[in-house]
Amino acid sequence: MLDRGRISSVQLFLLLVITEAATAFLYAPSKIIQMAGRDSWLTPLIATISGLLVAIVCIALAKRFPQQVFTEYLPQILGKIPGKLLGGIYTAVFIHLTSVILNQSSSFVHVAFLRETPLVALEILIGLASIYGVYLGIEVIARQNELVWPVWVLSILIIILLVAEGINLDNFRPFLEKGIMPVIKGSALAGSFRGEIFLLLMLYPYLNKKEEVYKSAVYYLLTTAALLGIITAAIIGVFGDLIPVYMVYPAYDLARYISLARFLERIQILIVVMWISGVIVKMAVFFHSAAIAAATTLGLRNYRVTLLPILASTIIISRLFYGDHLRLINFLSKIFPYYGPAVELLIPALVLLIAVILKKGGNS
Amino acid sequence: MISFFRWLGNLLKHIAGEPTGSLLKPGDPGYQEAYKLTSNLEKNIKIITEIFGLSDDLMVRGLKIGRGKKHVRAAVIYLDTLIDHTRLQQGLMHCLQTIEQLPPRGITTEWLINNALSDGRVIKKNSFVEITDEINQGAACLLIEGLDQALLVRLAEKAGRAVEGPVTENVSKGPHDAFNEDVRSNIALLRKRLNTSRLAVENLEIGELTKTEVKLVYLKGYVLDGLVDEIKSRLRRIRIDGIIDSGQVEEFIQDSAFSLFSLLDSTERPDKLAANLLEGKAGLMFDNTPIVLIIPGTLTAQIQSPEDYYQRYWFSSWIRVMRWLAILTALLGPSLWIAIITFHQELLPTELLMSVLVSREGVPFPGLVEALIMEISLEVLREAGLRLPQTFGQTISIVGAVVLGQAAVSAGLASPGMVIVVALTAIASFVIPTQPLSNTIRILRFPFMLLAASFGLIGIIVGFSILTYHLCSLRSYGIPYLSPLAPLSFDNLKDTVIRAPIWNMLFRPRLIGYREPQRQNPDQRPHPPARKGKKFIRRRKQ
Repeated sequence: MLDRGRISSVQLFLLLVITEAATAFLYAPSKIIQMAGRDSWLTPLIATISGLLVAIVCIALAKRFPQQVFTEYLPQILGKIPGKLLGGIYTAVFIHLTSVILNQSSSFVHVAFLRETPLVALEILIGLASIYGVYLGIEVIARQNELVWPVWVLSILIIILLVAEGINLDNFRPFLEKGIMPVIKGSALAGSFRGEIFLLLMLYPYLNKKEEVYKSAVYYLLTTAALLGIITAAIIGVFGDLIPVYMVYPAYDLARYISLARFLERIQILIVVMWISGVIVKMAVFFHSAAIAAATTLGLRNYRVTLLPILASTIIISRLFYGDHLRLINFLSKIFPYYGPAVELLIPALVLLIAVILKKGGNS
Repeated sequence: MISFFRWLGNLLKHIAGEPTGSLLKPGDPGYQEAYKLTSNLEKNIKIITEIFGLSDDLMVRGLKIGRGKKHVRAAVIYLDTLIDHTRLQQGLMHCLQTIEQLPPRGITTEWLINNALSDGRVIKKNSFVEITDEINQGAACLLIEGLDQALLVRLAEKAGRAVEGPVTENVSKGPHDAFNEDVRSNIALLRKRLNTSRLAVENLEIGELTKTEVKLVYLKGYVLDGLVDEIKSRLRRIRIDGIIDSGQVEEFIQDSAFSLFSLLDSTERPDKLAANLLEGKAGLMFDNTPIVLIIPGTLTAQIQSPEDYYQRYWFSSWIRVMRWLAILTALLGPSLWIAIITFHQELLPTELLMSVLVSREGVPFPGLVEALIMEISLEVLREAGLRLPQTFGQTISIVGAVVLGQAAVSAGLASPGMVIVVALTAIASFVIPTQPLSNTIRILRFPFMLLAASFGLIGIIVGFSILTYHLCSLRSYGIPYLSPLAPLSFDNLKDTVIRAPIWNMLFRPRLIGYREPQRQNPDQRPHPPARKGKKFIRRRKQ
């Protein structure tokens, strides 16, 4: 293992929650509401099933090689060249996902308030903060997250508490007007966000008590389902099921909606700030996975040397492919529902199948 | 004879620190044996006086022990400036001069210790190196004709001040004594509080020339596993000519060489040291330094004041919350203001925004420059107030108040809003109970101001993330610097952001005091006495 850090099951749970929720609660609701309408608050719950599937596959695979990360044992299962090849593909996937997150965060900040600051400057700033955490190791990221997490969750709960008086319960009725199918279709989209638990493949070796991984995974699935469900419900309750479809960041607009006693207004910026602190952790986790994947595939002894090249390539990818904000939205709603399950579920499941057939790795 | 002088010359060169080719070095086997006392009194005196050479305060007093013909010649050698003269007279000279009869088998050192000398601190030595060391530390050396051993009576009277109140760590409720420069009296202050034989005081020495006494204090059986060995091995690695203050050692033995944060806690209060030893930490006391290092240090420990434990817990908890707020203000105050007036004007209520804009109208600088002018002049003012003789203190405060507060605003250098923010920041930074943390935050304020001026609140949160990453990565002797916040341990939060009642704090800090986890008996919450006829049921935890 290249990183000697150790994290506890609680830290793993908190990390997984923030890696999913930090961007999902901002980008998912608008698209889900488009598909599932006023019943969208159910989708995160149903999507939990797909999250559970990913979790089962990833844990089963990780348990076969408890001391190694995914890209490390791929050559042992698939043979040297195909294994390294798939490791390279996963490195690229992690770098790509990191650049998507970087783009999401920088363009959100850009749209929300820093209109005149060049996006590249924002990306360098946020990227440097994240790779500093990666440089210090997974243990530090997990500890930092313990500090960020309460602030982050509190800020979301405060938004919902403060907009509670604006929630109109009529917006939820009639319940399941068009049957269950739109909800299931929306769940497929939500499921691609829920699948980020596949990071377990890269995080499992650092867990100090391996048997508690199920607990972390289940708590994670339930917590994020609840968080996303509540956010989506609040958005529908306040805005109905029509307006959010045309909003880019419905959760941000929710924060703008806050007005308490005429002096607690326009505090959405504080929410953005809290949210950025979560994104920095999320980016750090993905960066860490990308760096470890790159280092293990290339056979390096120190993963830290890959950090600056990866940062540079993520910024370049983010600027080249998603320079236009619509392309990002397009990717998230059109491509990611297929791309996500493929790398999160399909390929790990195939690898697990091969490992079972060839009897590679430890117990079951 | 010639060989003797060559030997003497080499010895002198060695003790004077000149490089000599053939001479043994300290630590070599046989080093101590090489330069032994002889039984010739004159020769011994001569060597010692030549070792001290030009020291004008070296006193050599000859005397005779015993009456009549059977007397023995002797000499007492000491440094005049270090000796307590009353004790020299009563404990040594008087005793020697009143000896009537010598033992029939001739005089021996044992006989003198047991029968003649009334002073308790007597040791025997027979090498010149050790003897000169002892004389340097204030011992009187008794040399006797015909004996190749010297008796050293420790009669040092250290010049220094008495036990006084603390200078930086003031409390209103609680003990008012503080450590001073004398390590022995410091240990006495500690022993007064910890009346147990478990209190270990280990002696170490640092500095080739200063030979500074270092005392490692801890509670046997309670101290963190392996901590004592680690401290000793780090101290032994220090090779330096001299140590003047504990702060110099701190830089050698802390974990992270370049961190802005002070990784060891320090105090001048014996009660704080005692409380920390009870938690399982260790203390390092240095002679001639009133500041004692506490190892391992954590950030949360630097935010606690001893007074928190002496006041009612409601008030202590309230003060602790205020202190966290003050730290955030001291760190982020000016940068938040810069971010708001440069990027996020919408955060201010409209009326306030109007008045801020009006007051900033005459100011030609952007927020950052305005803040830098004020902050830097405040820093300079603060330093000036510290260094000035006390009689000038008032001048500085008047100049500071008038120039910074009034004139800067009316001259259009700064807006009143900025003056308020900078003043608030300065006051908040004085709330931090420990000096090192306060200084760190003073420095960190400036990078945050730069970040705020270029990226607004996003810059601040990114800077804050980097700062917390750094804090999370720090360790002090194996203990995470941010514990118990990260890694989180819920039970120890009772003594972090709030202060729980004493009877509720059942356990020592989990990472430090795990060898004896329990501090007190459970269930000691005060109850009103049981009523007659009604059985008083107490639940007892297992």
